[in-house]
Amino acid sequence: MIELRRVWKVYSNGRREVVALREVSFRIGRGETVAIVGPSGSGKSTLLNLIGGLDRPSQGEIVIEGRSLGELDDDELTRLRREKIGFVFQFFHLLPTLTCVENVALPLHLAGWDRRQAQQRARELLGLVGLSGRLDHLPDELSGGERQRVAIARALAAHPPILLADEPTGNLDSRTGGEILALLHELHERLGTTLLIVTHDAQVAASCARTLTLRDGQIVADSAAGAP
Amino acid sequence: MLLARLSWAYLKRHKLRWALTVAGVALGVAVLVAMRLANRAVLASFHRTVDGIAGRTELQVHAGDLGFPEEVLERVQAVPQVRAAAPVIEAALDTGLPGQGYLLVIGVDMTGDRSLRDYDLESGEEAIIEDPLVFLAQPDSIMVTREFAQRNGLGIGSRIPLGTAQGIRWFTVRGIMRSGGLSQAFGGNLAVMDIYALQYVLGRGRRFDRIDVALQEGVSLAEGQRALREALGPGFEVEPPAARGRHFEAILRSFSLTLNITSLFAMLVGVFIIYNSFAIAVTQRRTEIGILRALGATRGRIRALFLGEAAVAGSVGSVAGAMAGWLMARWIAGYVARLLQEVYGVVQNVQTAPAEPGLLAASAGLGIVVSLIAAWIPAANAARVDPVRALQKGKYQVLSAGETRARWWLSAGAAAAAVIFLLLGRSLVLFYTGYILAILAALLMTPTLALWLARALRPLLAWLRPVEGALAADSLIQAPRRTSATVAALMLSLAMVIGFGGVARSIYNSLIEWVNTTLNPDLFVTPNAEIANRTYVMPAEVGSEIERIPGVRQVQLVRSARIPYRGTPVLLVAAEAGKLAQTVRRRPLEGDLDDMYRRTAAGQATIVSESFARLRGLRLGDVVELPAPKGLLRLPIAGITRDYSDQQGTLLIDRSLYRQWWADDSVNVIRVYLAPGASAAEVKRQILERCARGRRLFVLGNQEVRRYIFRLADQWFSMTYNQIAVAILVAVLGIVNTLTVSITDRRRELGILQAVGGLKQQVRHTIWMEAVAIGVIGLVLGLGLGAISLYYSLEMTRRDLAGLSLDYVFPLPLAAWLAPVILGAAFAASLWPAETAVRGSLVEALEYE
Amino acid sequence: MSKAATLLLAASLFAQDARQIVEEAQRRSRADSERYEGTLEVIDARGRKSLKRWVYRRLGSHGNSKAIIRFTEPAEVRGVALLILNHPERASDQWMWTPATQRERRIALQDRSTRFFGTDFSFEDLEERDVNQYDYRLLGEETIEGAACWKIESRPRKTRASQYTHSILWIRKENYTFARIENYVREELVRRANYREVHNVQRIWTPRLIEMQDLRRNSRTILRLEKLEYNVPMKESDFTLQALRREF
Repeated sequence: MIELRRVWKVYSNGRREVVALREVSFRIGRGETVAIVGPSGSGKSTLLNLIGGLDRPSQGEIVIEGRSLGELDDDELTRLRREKIGFVFQFFHLLPTLTCVENVALPLHLAGWDRRQAQQRARELLGLVGLSGRLDHLPDELSGGERQRVAIARALAAHPPILLADEPTGNLDSRTGGEILALLHELHERLGTTLLIVTHDAQVAASCARTLTLRDGQIVADSAAGAP
Repeated sequence: MLLARLSWAYLKRHKLRWALTVAGVALGVAVLVAMRLANRAVLASFHRTVDGIAGRTELQVHAGDLGFPEEVLERVQAVPQVRAAAPVIEAALDTGLPGQGYLLVIGVDMTGDRSLRDYDLESGEEAIIEDPLVFLAQPDSIMVTREFAQRNGLGIGSRIPLGTAQGIRWFTVRGIMRSGGLSQAFGGNLAVMDIYALQYVLGRGRRFDRIDVALQEGVSLAEGQRALREALGPGFEVEPPAARGRHFEAILRSFSLTLNITSLFAMLVGVFIIYNSFAIAVTQRRTEIGILRALGATRGRIRALFLGEAAVAGSVGSVAGAMAGWLMARWIAGYVARLLQEVYGVVQNVQTAPAEPGLLAASAGLGIVVSLIAAWIPAANAARVDPVRALQKGKYQVLSAGETRARWWLSAGAAAAAVIFLLLGRSLVLFYTGYILAILAALLMTPTLALWLARALRPLLAWLRPVEGALAADSLIQAPRRTSATVAALMLSLAMVIGFGGVARSIYNSLIEWVNTTLNPDLFVTPNAEIANRTYVMPAEVGSEIERIPGVRQVQLVRSARIPYRGTPVLLVAAEAGKLAQTVRRRPLEGDLDDMYRRTAAGQATIVSESFARLRGLRLGDVVELPAPKGLLRLPIAGITRDYSDQQGTLLIDRSLYRQWWADDSVNVIRVYLAPGASAAEVKRQILERCARGRRLFVLGNQEVRRYIFRLADQWFSMTYNQIAVAILVAVLGIVNTLTVSITDRRRELGILQAVGGLKQQVRHTIWMEAVAIGVIGLVLGLGLGAISLYYSLEMTRRDLAGLSLDYVFPLPLAAWLAPVILGAAFAASLWPAETAVRGSLVEALEYE
Repeated sequence: MSKAATLLLAASLFAQDARQIVEEAQRRSRADSERYEGTLEVIDARGRKSLKRWVYRRLGSHGNSKAIIRFTEPAEVRGVALLILNHPERASDQWMWTPATQRERRIALQDRSTRFFGTDFSFEDLEERDVNQYDYRLLGEETIEGAACWKIESRPRKTRASQYTHSILWIRKENYTFARIENYVREELVRRANYREVHNVQRIWTPRLIEMQDLRRNSRTILRLEKLEYNVPMKESDFTLQALRREF
């Protein structure tokens, strides 16, 4: 499903070089729930961004559902991202001037969906995450947890087989965080989505079937039996 | 479209910025439209007048300002190809009526041929003349247009005052023209008199201004021209009426150039304002763009989003600008007309600026295109936003090393090309291309130069205020691209100001020198209220009378007039060269002072102005062929001087030659030199007493004339002040915008500053200092580019505009004055952004990771 | 003589051609010089009247004469004078003098059709016709205002530049004076002149009232000849440009 082969990511500041990922290789199968853990600066977010096609590796190959990302140009990559990957960010990143429904419908509009169908789907998804009563509210009228739910709904809008979450509970209190975590797993059960969660929270990691540990840009541990 | 909602949301939150953006487009379009329309209005008015009066005339015979003796009419009538020939005199006379300005009076032979005019004075449908015999018998008879009559409450029998050679005289309206081609000319301020009566009134003697000709059936225009030229010989121009438009256009041309430059400049300013606004918008909406990209918006989508906004802003601004420009055009046209009248003595009556839908639509279209071009780079940058970094809310900018190198090479290449083009010499095309390349080179180097200057300023700023100063400098050093647009705009504006101001100063200095050495008589006696006007002339006897007045040491008679020389009008000055040799001791640019006067006084040579020589590629010793009624006058050039009497050039010949070849004894200026100890006021009084009786006469003192000339020069150079104002506007807007972005980028840093104990005032200080630093950088670069631009401007004046070679003098006073103004503006611009910086939430600022 | 012979003689006497009639009319009105004071009354289409007076002097005969007209009233036009030099074989030369500007001006050749200073006479109408510049055709006889007249059509020859295509002349049989002249431009009647109040002055029958109607403008001008004298001694030098400039 997701495969990384000897992936390197090096950042250059004009004068200095920073190695964010160092020869990372692993494989993730369909429907897995994987937690990616490690101290700050270990490259977790970078890894997620690469998998999500938001960034390109300096070396190595990333294959998503059989397609090698390196062979795709920017537009193709964008389309792949649209169809295959849902993103949930730590800081929610909702557009403040759009209502919940509109926020959730946004990726569908970008993909060219019919307006009414997009709205309908958005409402469905919001129902799925338990926010039917908040359809026309603006993000700043919601609590942190509610916002994250909206973000999750949005991530699922296009039926993506893969859901990437970067510190989804990082900005929430522990109770709400727990709720969100539960929601993620529930959706995983229902929809069969492959789930990758970057986190430094042990509880979050424990809830996943598999844990990849990163340190200084390298994978130092993989809880799946028989590693790479 | 959902994305459109995002645009709308941003607009609502930043109404002021949007208003500025729209205003930027509107400014550029408005100035462009206004200048174009005004130009066309003035030209169209001139053509309307010419065409309206010309009627069915096919060819016109004239000899410049001077006219020709009446006998020429018979010669024209004798040419077999001529069917009808009618003599005409035209004069713009001052009405004594309030607010009416000039009346263009046309003298025609009312017993002569009517077939040339579009009007029929006899038919009763075209005009009402109650009693044609009385009209002719009484030389004060005048026929006015119906519009003029209605406007001033006149009817048959009413009396109006007009300025004549004999002073204000009263005329009786004995005819009214109905509407028609003729009455459209000169904005309705047109009148017809009998030609001989008008001759008498103007003191023209037995001369006509021109002869209107209609050719026999089947004779072509070319054939008619040839036949007439053969019959008349040199000294006469035979042209279709429309050709007069060309002469006028030649005069208008240099003015047009200035107008064009101003409109181009306004457009550029508009471009920068739009660019700036969008650059900021892209910066502020980076997160939003990141989200959209993460969610699957392609680069093209993002670019289209911003270009769409630019198109909308462009449309609104263009439409508003086109309308504003149309309204302004009327005012500008009036201003241009008045300036032309004062400087060139060409009287126009510009009524309306026609609303030309084609021009308005084209300008509006141009506005939209310009908006798109201006927003192109920001839109491309938006598309290039890296979603990862955008969502990180961190610092963003780098100038990649590769990009810098590319810029350097391009810039060096452009600069080298500019130098080569300059050295290659002659061609105007190469010259202007070189100019543009030089500016391009400067623009390309701006980010790097700005960076260097910022680094250089850092120690100074840190010395002034260790923390705030250093941070301000660092802000500039870290993000050169952010400030370079503003710096570039400022640099360009200031360069324009220096270029223009420097030329102005050079010309001013030269003018002063010219006025001091050439315009040195104590008194000037002339029958024209404005010294540039040549409508009225006086007989030479006036000079003799003045000579007899005690206290008068010397009297010099001058006759000047525009004559056509190879298609363009030049100023012929017929003066007493022998006397000039005694009083105007000014070294010529080429030639020997005594020699040139001696030969000219002997009627063997001419002295020409630098502009005359240079614009026509003539040198000392070349022979000039002057067309005169008595034949072709050939004179070698004995001297080339720097003279500012006329932009197209001046030729000085001795008065004796003029009397001989033009058979004209009149003068239009008498220069009076007083004996030592004589009182100017007393002599003036005597002149008026003895000579002004029954005659229109003005006596002007030397200081009066100087003031007048410098007033004209000031008006010409008032453009400079407009450009300074625009430069300040650009400075303020640019800095406000740049600072806003800077503050956004530095949120975390400013938050930390406050968190560790910095006072709000100290935050303000760092913003202020950043602003002033930008101002300094812009100023330094602007003065530097200005020095180069000045060189080009002077060259442009020399090679293209006026043929004047001027000294390179960097306008230090102007620069010294600009510095505090610009820095002050920069400071003022930073006040509001500084407030927003301290008002932001501290926690939010620190959240930035 | 037999009746037939008398009739024949009478017939041959009366069978004159048109040209001869006109020639006779001219011959009878020939004088070495002529002088009169004229009153010109112009009545326009709306019935408004204006009055002028002039003094007319002519030296010479038809087709080869010189004339000066000098206006005496009203005050605004006093002194304005017109010099007309008629030539037998070509159109006349005319000059106008205005005392206020002390200028004479030549009146252009092409302009004979212009109205003479607001009257219904055109410049051409004021010239004298030379019989040799026209072709004539007798149209018949007609009675005009009680007088029996010959009706003759006259067409200008090519040598004669005229605004009219042809004219119709009515000449009184009784005394060979003109009763009426109608001037045509193609089919349109443009002007009509009626000659009335025929008096015998120094044995020359002269109409002392001439009414010129401009049918296009619907206006008419009445010229009355007063103090008419023939053969008053006049000098050639009285009919030059210098003379024009003199007041008399």
